[in-house]
This record gives sequence, C-alpha cells and structure tokens, in this order.
Amino acid sequence: MKDWPSIANAAGLDIPAKEAARYCQTLDSLEEVFRPLAHTLTPEMEPAFAFQADPEQA
Amino acid sequence: MTIGEAAEALRRRRYSALELTTSALARIERANPTLRAFITVTAEEALEQARRADAELAAGKDRGPLQGIPVAVKDVFHTRGVATTGGSPIYRNFVPSEDAAAVARLKAAGAVLLGKLNMHELAYGITSANPHFGAVTNPWNGKHSPGGSSGGSGAAVAAGLVYAALGTDTGGSIRIPASFCGTVGLKPTYGRVSRRGVMPLSWSLDHVGPLAASVRDAALVLNAIAGHDPGDDSSARRPVVDYVPDECPVRGLRVGFPENFFFDRLDADVELAVRGAIARLESLGAQVKPVKLPDIAALNAVGRVILLCEASAMMEPHLKNRGQFGADVLALLDQGRLLPATDYLHAQRLRKRMQREFAQVWPAVDCLVTPTTPNTAPRIGQAAVKLAGREEDVRLATTRLVRSLNLLGLPALSIPCGLSGEGLPIGLQIIGPAFEESLILRVGAALEDGGVGVPHAPML
Repeated sequence: MKDWPSIANAAGLDIPAKEAARYCQTLDSLEEVFRPLAHTLTPEMEPAFAFQADPEQA
Repeated sequence: MTIGEAAEALRRRRYSALELTTSALARIERANPTLRAFITVTAEEALEQARRADAELAAGKDRGPLQGIPVAVKDVFHTRGVATTGGSPIYRNFVPSEDAAAVARLKAAGAVLLGKLNMHELAYGITSANPHFGAVTNPWNGKHSPGGSSGGSGAAVAAGLVYAALGTDTGGSIRIPASFCGTVGLKPTYGRVSRRGVMPLSWSLDHVGPLAASVRDAALVLNAIAGHDPGDDSSARRPVVDYVPDECPVRGLRVGFPENFFFDRLDADVELAVRGAIARLESLGAQVKPVKLPDIAALNAVGRVILLCEASAMMEPHLKNRGQFGADVLALLDQGRLLPATDYLHAQRLRKRMQREFAQVWPAVDCLVTPTTPNTAPRIGQAAVKLAGREEDVRLATTRLVRSLNLLGLPALSIPCGLSGEGLPIGLQIIGPAFEESLILRVGAALEDGGVGVPHAPML
C-alpha cells in the first residue's frame, strides 16, 4: 500500500491531506490489479502510441 | 416516428422541416424543466435551418435522410457562435468560432441542430447529476439517473425531444445512457469519427458516436459523421461504407457468448433479458458459441490508469481553483495526479499487448454479445448498487462491462432488450472487430426487427 497523502505532499500537489486520505482505498484497489500486470512487461513492449518525426505524418 | 419515416414524410410533403422543428421545440419547452436534458436551446437558428431545409427540398436539392431532421449534440462539441460548456463553469462563456467536425458533417447533411445537451461535468462520470447545470433525469422514471456522461443525449432521444443526438464515449459514456434510457447508442471504432472540435477528456480513449431511437437511425447518423479527417491525428483512412442495414440476415453468423466476466454479478432482470435476446438471435439462425475472453478486469484497470492520467493532464491548468469542480470530478482529477508517469507508460504498453491478445478472439466468432451494464438506472444520488449480494460502487459497476472496449478501440453497440420489474430499460451490447460497424448494426437491426426492444418511454 502506498502512502498517498505523503506522495501528494512530496509532489507539492495542492491536495488537502484529508482528501488524499479519502482516495487511498480506490487507488490501493487499482494498484492491486495494475501493479502485477506492470511487472509482466518486457523491454521490447512499446507503448500504444508513436511519435512521428515527419511533421507531415504527425 | 423514426428518421427514415420522417425523411419520407418530408419528401411526400406530409410534414415540413419547420413543422418537425416547431413541434420538437414545443416538446423541449414542456419537458426540459423536468428532464434538464438541454443546457442551451438554439431555437432561432434551428427554425432558420429548418426553413432552409424546406426550401432546398422544394428546389430539388436533396442532402439525404438527415435533411430537415431535428437533432442535438452533447455540450462538448464545438458549435460556431453557440456556447460550449463541457458541463462546467470553466467553459460557461466559451463560444467557439468553428464547428466540431462531426457537427459540421451533420449540418452539411442538412440536420437541424436544436441545441446543446446536458452531461456529466466534463464528461467525467456516469450519472449526469451535473452540479452546475442541474441533474438530468431519466424519462422512464424521474427519480432515476439517465446514466452518463452523455445523459442529456440519452434522455432527449428517449423522451422524443430529438430524433438523434451525438455523444462521446471514453469509458461507456454513450452506451451507458443508451442502456439506462432505452435507446440505441453506438461507440464506433477509434478513429472512425473525427474528434476534432470535441472537448477532450482522454485523447486516446475518447470516441464520438450517435444515440438514436432505432438501430437504422443510429446508422443514418453514422453515415453522416464517419470518415477520414486530416484535422484529427487519430482519424482512420479506411474508407467508409453505407452503414444502414437493409436486409439483416444473421443465419450462420457466429455470435460469441462470453464464458467469463461479462455474465458475473448481474442484476437478475438484466441477465434474463440479455439471455432472452441471445436466444432470439439463435432462433433467427445465428450460431451462438461460448467463448473465453482475455482478462477483462485487467483491461479495465489499465483503462482506468490511462483515463486518470490523461484527464488530469488535460485539466491540470484549471486545478488551481478547486471550487470550480464538483466533488466527484475533483476526486478523480486528484487521483490522476497521484499516479506516476511510469504507470501511464506501462498502461499504454499493456494496452498494446492486450489488444493483440483480444484479437485472438475474432477467428472463432464474428461478434460478441454481452449486457451493456450489469444494472439498470440507479436512483439519482445512489452511491452503491447491490449485485449478486455484493455492494459495488455505482460508477465502477456501471462501467464494468463497457470500459474495456474504449481501451481496445473496438466498435460496440447498445440496444434496448427489455424492461426490469421496476419498468427500467435494459441494454444489450454487441461488440465487433475494428471497423466492423456494419456487422454489429446488422445484428442489432435483426434483433430489433425480431421484436427485441422496449416500448416508448412513459414520458413520451
């Protein structure tokens, strides 16, 4: 479990601590599903978007 | 009357576009104080557009079936000279100088634009209980939510205020109000309809599509708005076709019935109605095949990470003034700022892999059928729903069966397939491979022709 209020504070976000504390349950449950998935990624897997160097293609 | 019927009546001079528009404006005046479906009604402009449609038809200039048909668009679509609020006080005074691409295409097809429809604030939620412009109510029961975020679009179509409406769908926002209001709602393939001139919520998940009273009406609107737009980076170059189903044979069509996830924890009435519609498809000759799908809960989690990050990035310049946001929207925007950039990138990497995994489904089946939402419309203000004995957050429950299709960019159609014991509509979702809108519309029309649907909303 992450300490979301501290993360907000450390990042200098103007989220009141009381409100950040209210988000803990939602974010923790998202973490629970998402983190194991993220750990399955291998380096060759690129994101689902691509930068186009040619402005005509961008 | 459907768009097809109205279009024929206009050409036979049984009605004029001016009469259709005047009648629709009168209905809006009567119903809107209760429904709160419209934020802005553009009566004068609409009457002018209707007169022009009549004059053109009289002169033999036929722009097609939408000419002279009263429609409206969610208040995220830029409309030249008309305020576009996004359902937020931040944009209350924003008056665009150009029409969104989809609005321009509707106008070019001769449609009569009656105004701008209410919605969940910033399209970021599923209730359309807008704290700034009023809570949209459900035409089937005013104590219930119409769903969202395109709640005004669903309510206006269901109440017969307009023949069709445009909505946007980032995590179910067309299909959820379609399901809760008993209308048809289509989220086309990502890239099929231009997003240019639409206030973004999440660039890589936002889709534009129609809500209408019938499958063929939705297809007529798609015909008008689909196609490549060089002004939208994500716009697809793939050619468009005529999306209106003529004959609707489903004999031999392989319809996938998900064995996992989509039929877990459903309201009993929803399950009964959806299974009934699937049985109807089988009786029409479709081959219903059980199919095992990849992990949809994982897709939903990845979709939520992308949405949280993109929406927060989009709205960050406005977050200094926290009082401008409703509590639910502010909470989501805050949560998005707490996720690291690495998670966003991981999510976009997982998305690509999951897209490849999901594509393995298509050789075995032609389309999938599922419930659109596991529940019927919750009461306005209801925070949780009880499904199969388990309390669930109403937003997470309502988006559970629709969100993954935004991540995958696949076309998905919601059609009404019955009423609950409480008299609330139930939605069936038909999902197809990318750019197979014609196929899912054909399946939807076959069911509609086969008697699957709902009567008119009581308010109508």
